[in-house]
Parts: sequence; C-alpha cells; structure tokens
Amino acid sequence: MPTVVDTRAAAPGSSTFGASRHSSVALVAAIVIALGLVTARMVSSAVVPAGVLPNRLQDGLTLGMSVLIESLPFVVLGIVISIAVRIWLPDGVFVRVLPRSPWLRRIVISFVGMLLPVCECGNVPLARGLMVRGLTVAESMTFLFAAPILNPITVITTAQAFGWSGGILVARIAGGFFIANLLGWLFSRHPDPESLLTAGFAAECRLPAHEEHGTRWNRSVQLFSTEAANLLPALFVGSVAAAAVQTLVPRSVLVVLGTDPIWSVVAMIGLSFIISVCSTVDAFFILPFATTFLPGSITAFLVFGAMIDIRMIALLRTTFSTRTIIQLFAVILLATAALSWLVNLVA
Amino acid sequence: MLLVAVVSIATIWFAIGGRLDYYVHPRYLVFTVIMASIALALCVARAAMIIRRPVAHTNHDADHDDEDDDPPPATRRQAALSGLAVLVAVGMIVFPPATLSSATALQRDLTGGTTPAGGSSLSSAQSASSAAFAKFTVLDWSSLLRQTSNVSFYAGKPVAVEGFITPSPTDAANTFYLTRFVITCCAVDAQPVGVPVYLPNWRNSYKSDEWLNLTGGFEANHSTSSADPIALVPSGVKKISAPSDPYLY
Repeated sequence: MPTVVDTRAAAPGSSTFGASRHSSVALVAAIVIALGLVTARMVSSAVVPAGVLPNRLQDGLTLGMSVLIESLPFVVLGIVISIAVRIWLPDGVFVRVLPRSPWLRRIVISFVGMLLPVCECGNVPLARGLMVRGLTVAESMTFLFAAPILNPITVITTAQAFGWSGGILVARIAGGFFIANLLGWLFSRHPDPESLLTAGFAAECRLPAHEEHGTRWNRSVQLFSTEAANLLPALFVGSVAAAAVQTLVPRSVLVVLGTDPIWSVVAMIGLSFIISVCSTVDAFFILPFATTFLPGSITAFLVFGAMIDIRMIALLRTTFSTRTIIQLFAVILLATAALSWLVNLVA
Repeated sequence: MLLVAVVSIATIWFAIGGRLDYYVHPRYLVFTVIMASIALALCVARAAMIIRRPVAHTNHDADHDDEDDDPPPATRRQAALSGLAVLVAVGMIVFPPATLSSATALQRDLTGGTTPAGGSSLSSAQSASSAAFAKFTVLDWSSLLRQTSNVSFYAGKPVAVEGFITPSPTDAANTFYLTRFVITCCAVDAQPVGVPVYLPNWRNSYKSDEWLNLTGGFEANHSTSSADPIALVPSGVKKISAPSDPYLY
C-alpha cells in the first residue's frame, strides 16, 4: 500500500490549506463534543438519581466500566513502551542482544516480561511494536503469552497466595513458559507468517523503517493516537462482553464441579475465560476456591486466564486474523487442560 | 482517540470525586490516575498537532479515529464496533457511578461455599477480645460462620456490622443477608459475603439494597424456612447512606 506523501513541510499558503481547514473544523467539533460530555456528566450528577437503571442493567454497566477503567492504564502503559520500542530504540538492538538460533531467541524473549511488568492487555500494543521493529510473529507470540506469567509481580502474588502447596506456583510458571514457547515453535513453522496477522497490521509491519516525517516526539504522539484508535474500540467491546457474560451466567453453575478431577479443570478454564482478571492478582481471586477445587483446576485457572480471556480476544483481533486466534485458543486450551489434568494426577 | 479521552476524563473525574474505588481496587488508584493523565496529555498533544500543522493526506493517515481504509466489509464492522464503544462511553458519562447491587450478590453465589480470603480464622477469633469482635466486618463473621455453627461460640459476642440488604432466597419475608462485596482487582471479580439476619417482616420498613448498620448478637435461627442455622438477631437497626468506600478488600 503506497502512502501518500506527507506534505506537512509544505508552505501553509499552498493547496493544503483546504485540507487543514477540514481538520481544524473536525477538531473544533471534537472539542465541542468533549466539552458537551463533561457538561453532561456534571448535569447528570445533579439531575439523574442514583437508582434510575434497573439493578441488572446498572450492574452490567458498572462491571463493564470497571474492566475498562482497570485495563486502560495498562493498555496506555503498553502503548507508551511500544512507542519507545518503535521510535526511540536504536536500530539493530535486537540483532545485537538476542541469540541467533530461533528457539533460544524465543526462550530469551519469554523472559522480557520480567523487565516489563504490564498486565496481559498492555502486552498487546507492546507485541505489535516488537513485530513492527522486526521480531517475527512467532517470537512476538511467545512474548505475548509468556509475559503475563513470567513477570515479577505475578510470581510474587502467586507465591504469596499459595506458597508451595499443591505445586501450583511451579506448575503456573513452568506451564506458562512451556505453552508460550510451544506456541512460538508451532507458529514459527508456518510458511507464511504474514497471513497470521490482520491485513491492516501486516501492512503496517511492511512499511519501510525510514518513513521519517517530523521529529520523534511528533511521531510518538501520532503513533499514540493511531494505536489508541486501533485498540480502544476492541477494549470497549471486550469489557462489555466480559461484563455481559458475568451478568448473565450465574456463578454457582461452575462451583458445583469443584471436586471432579476432570470437570473441575474445565469449569476453571471456563471461569478464567469469563472473568478477565489481571494476571498480577488473580492468585488472590482464586485462593478461596482452593478449598473446594483440586490443585490442577486452580493451575488451569491461573495459566489459562493469564493468557487468554474475553477481553484479550477482542484486543488480539486488532492484530491477528480470526483463524490465528482460533488456533491460539485451541492450543492454549489443550495444553492447559493437559497440564492441569497432569497436576491433578500427581498432586 | 476520542474514546481514550472519554475514559481518561471519566477516570480522573471519578478519582477526584473519590468514587474511583467503586470500580477498581484502591491499590491501583495512583497508577490509574497517572496513566489517565498521561493519556489525556497525549490526546491534547495530538489535537494541538492537528491544529498547528495542516495535514494533507486523507488516504492513509491513521488519525481518522473510526474511519478505516480497509475494504467495505471491514469498515462496516469497524463502524459497528465504534458505535458500540460510543454507546458505552455515553453510558459512562451520563449515569452516575454506582456500586454493585443485590442482583449481582445473589447471582454470584452469596450462599455458596466459597469465602474470600481475609476473614478471621476460628483460632484467632477464640482468643479475641470483646472490642475486637465489635470491629468485625461481615467478611469476618461470614468466615466464622462457615467454620463453626456452634451456637455457644457466638453467645455473648457483640456484633456491629454494616452492609446492604440482599433478600434471602429461602425465606424472603423474614430473613435477609447483610452483604458487602470483596474485591481483588476490579469490580468485575467482586465476590459477595454476607451474614444472615433475622428480622421478621423487614420489608415493611426497609428495601432491598438499602444500607444498614446493625448491632446485636448471633443466635440459632428462629426462621422456619431459612437454610442457615445461625442468624443475627438485631437489637439496633440504623439506616445509613452508602459509604464512600463500599467494598472490602
């Protein structure tokens, strides 16, 4: 896709004036809308009484908002770090720092998350940045799915919650590492890695590295707005979906299955998919279930939920094709289930 | 980009009003506000960029937030997603911040077997003083209730708890649960905890979801149809307004 030449450097009196008028009008309109929203907020806090929505609907809105408000800072942080990687990182750093052989590279990349403790949703913009900067799709996947588990905060909170009991801590870390590298290896064998991505993002990766328009600060700000435009609608949809499912599905359905060695794993995978808790604190969330559920199913929750859930699927869809996501989901599901059944057998 | 601005504004607004803890665990407060501020600053910077410099490209410039250059089917999907996002954004702005209600409490297995971590253990409770008991929350009491239903353990111990009313599914006329939510990360993982309260015909004076401050003691449950063996029999009932920090951690 050829890009139109940027004429930002052209003189203001040229034919670009018409286009600039258009953008300024759009901008003014946007500001008016924003101010209108702020005013609406102020007015509604005075006028709209607290109980105007029916309980279930209000709860659904509250839940959706909570996921959104909780995730946004991490996504923003991920975008900021990704901008640092894409624009500020000197060329050739990856070539120098990473080992040559593919599977060694993936192993090293698995541990990059130790340096950048972002929630799983924040890793998506970061993985995008890595891919644009030259990492293969498979390597970015390894990073994306290893980072939520192989990160200091997650390890500490899991250790705090479970200690060494039931082998849960070890199983989580080993499982996360193994599954992420498994995914990386599987997808590295794909003959056409670009087809794994969405058309839009693949094109972005294909752009030559030296499209320099303006200073690095300007490009950073522009990139922020681009990435935000890509990721935010997905984040909204993911949050709404997570909230809707929570509001509609009663939780007792899952709790009943706690002691069955096979079905408890299935139930926990289902719960972790629906719940979308941050991987850094999900250990505390699941801790009370540890009395009724077997250790393997707890492991399933901690491994599966850290890698994929409703909100993540929405975010991944900005970058990977639907077919890729289905494949990812299937592999993670099977690998987690196998690992957890093993833990149930052994522990 | 407008979406980022909306969520950032809403976040900062809630934080200023002290209502951010309706949605997320307090440990995230500082980080959330800092990130929201950075996001907002970047949005403003981008807006300033647009004003200052004439932007010529219309084709592949990605600062068109919700328009897309993909072939038509993708544009329609994008439009639908963006429409949904805008709807939620409007909802965020228009409706006042709220806590979770009894509907969620009932749906999330209030009466089931799991109690969140953080309640009192039986051994530590046995040696606690009277003053300590008076400070116990519904989380502490519901933990204890799961560990022992020996009535003599509870005799004479003063109970002073706050929470909102969730009707009992088994004896709605005379029993309710005084409930609060425990949050790990954000409201989406909120787990309800509650203690059963025996107050005959409570519906004459109170409504579901109202916040109460109760004092009294635990006794064997007088209700004939309720499933709980022990219930709080209140000696003092006071209506309170919802606390500014409604969740337990």
